[in-house]
Amino acid sequence: MRSFVAAGFVAAVAAAGAVAGLRHYTNDSHAAGPEPTGGRLALVLPEPVKPAFTVPTPKPLSTPAAAAFWAPVARAVVARTAPRADGTAIATLELQTPEGTSNLVAVVADTVTKGSRWLRVRLPVLPNNTTGWVPRVALGGLVPVDTRLVVDRELLRAVLFRNGRRVFTAPVGVGTTQAPTPRGQFYIRDKLTGFGSSFYGPVAFGTSARSAVLTDWPAGGYIGIHGTNEPQLIPGRVSHGCIRMRNQDIARLARLMPIGTPLIVR
Amino acid sequence: MPAFAEGPPPPKEAGPLGLTLDAIDEDGAIAEALEGLYGSTRASFLRGAALGSAALAAGLAAPAAFAAERGGDTHILNFDLVFEYLQSTFYFSGVRVGTVAKMTRPKQVWAHTLGAHELAHVRILKSVLGRRAVAKPFFNFHGVTEDEAAFTKTAVAMEDLTVALLAGQAARFHDRALTAAVFSLLTVEARHAAWARHIAGYVPVAQAFDHPKTLDQVDAVVRRTRFLASAPRTRSRKQPKFTG
Repeated sequence: MRSFVAAGFVAAVAAAGAVAGLRHYTNDSHAAGPEPTGGRLALVLPEPVKPAFTVPTPKPLSTPAAAAFWAPVARAVVARTAPRADGTAIATLELQTPEGTSNLVAVVADTVTKGSRWLRVRLPVLPNNTTGWVPRVALGGLVPVDTRLVVDRELLRAVLFRNGRRVFTAPVGVGTTQAPTPRGQFYIRDKLTGFGSSFYGPVAFGTSARSAVLTDWPAGGYIGIHGTNEPQLIPGRVSHGCIRMRNQDIARLARLMPIGTPLIVR
Repeated sequence: MPAFAEGPPPPKEAGPLGLTLDAIDEDGAIAEALEGLYGSTRASFLRGAALGSAALAAGLAAPAAFAAERGGDTHILNFDLVFEYLQSTFYFSGVRVGTVAKMTRPKQVWAHTLGAHELAHVRILKSVLGRRAVAKPFFNFHGVTEDEAAFTKTAVAMEDLTVALLAGQAARFHDRALTAAVFSLLTVEARHAAWARHIAGYVPVAQAFDHPKTLDQVDAVVRRTRFLASAPRTRSRKQPKFTG
């Protein structure tokens, strides 16, 4: 009985192999097929197809949660004093900045009100340091940021931190006493290059900070971080509120500082 | 009380983000596609969760490389690459926005592991495609990665859809070596899907057969979603008007 079952199994394998185009070898290479019983059957299956690639060992996602986030404004929206539709309106967030780039906001908090999610964001409005609540759906995807730029108006120095570690420092020019660089917490909105103005140097970053005194300045009197054609004035209190750097420093900063980086002026 | 629910729960109301499939599927096309893919019961579940899965293919039609070699090995690999981009970015986003850190330890292990796997898939596919690899798209998850429940459900739908995609494409490669390689991705994605379903509290293997899905079917599902977004324009050559 056992040999019958074995023979049946071998025959089945042989038949399957024949269907699949396999080659069968016995101790007699000229044999027409496997012996029904007792033969020494060596079934040689074809090698598996060698994969074109194999996935390497994954690296753990060791990256922690980011320290800060920004999000583009997905639709024009009114920022409010409270996370609800009847909250007092503070300002309208438009889709674009005066520089023609996508408007974005730094996200500082979130909450859920009556089933809807709201985000508290820094607003690029006067008075500086204003925050407001907007519906989550009005913003695009959150973008994490690990950098932070600190500008010290007393020391006349800027320091860029990444994950808490200092990665850049440079002397700066800040506003005069008549047009001071505003103090507070802001964020980097955009990066301008190739505009061909030696006054602003090779690179200019737009920020959410605004001059509190030059309110009639074209495009709203926003504070920039940029190069200069007068490097001899740096460090110093020489600007209309903007943060000036020597051109080599702003070029280096441009390679290190991503959009959305929080800006702390103290 | 069974360890797992007998089946997916009925569709829930919009989460805190108000981002269920119903919210974006005004003409019902996505739900219809899911109905055909998963059956009505599962489709009901996915209506509340499939924003992620449906969004997977949002970018698949975008890269010009697809149109250039539609149906070819490169086309399929790039299609898969966009999926892997989406998946890896999805899990990475969950980690970066802090959602994963708020999960239980087993869920954290799950999310980190799947994220690491998807990132490895991205790397190998980019390596295989070389200069023909499509660029990484910009994704907007519309807050899904910021909410644990939405994140988990979307992961289930995303992994299930990936299995359907790879099951439909693995045998289509002209190069059998690619087929063999993609099968190794498929089996892993199937385990991802089962793990995700387990994590979400659903039957890990919901049906006896997986139904493959064509690129066009996936594309049709995803085209109506908005996970793949235009990258914000953050640079300009415009003359600054800062205060100076």
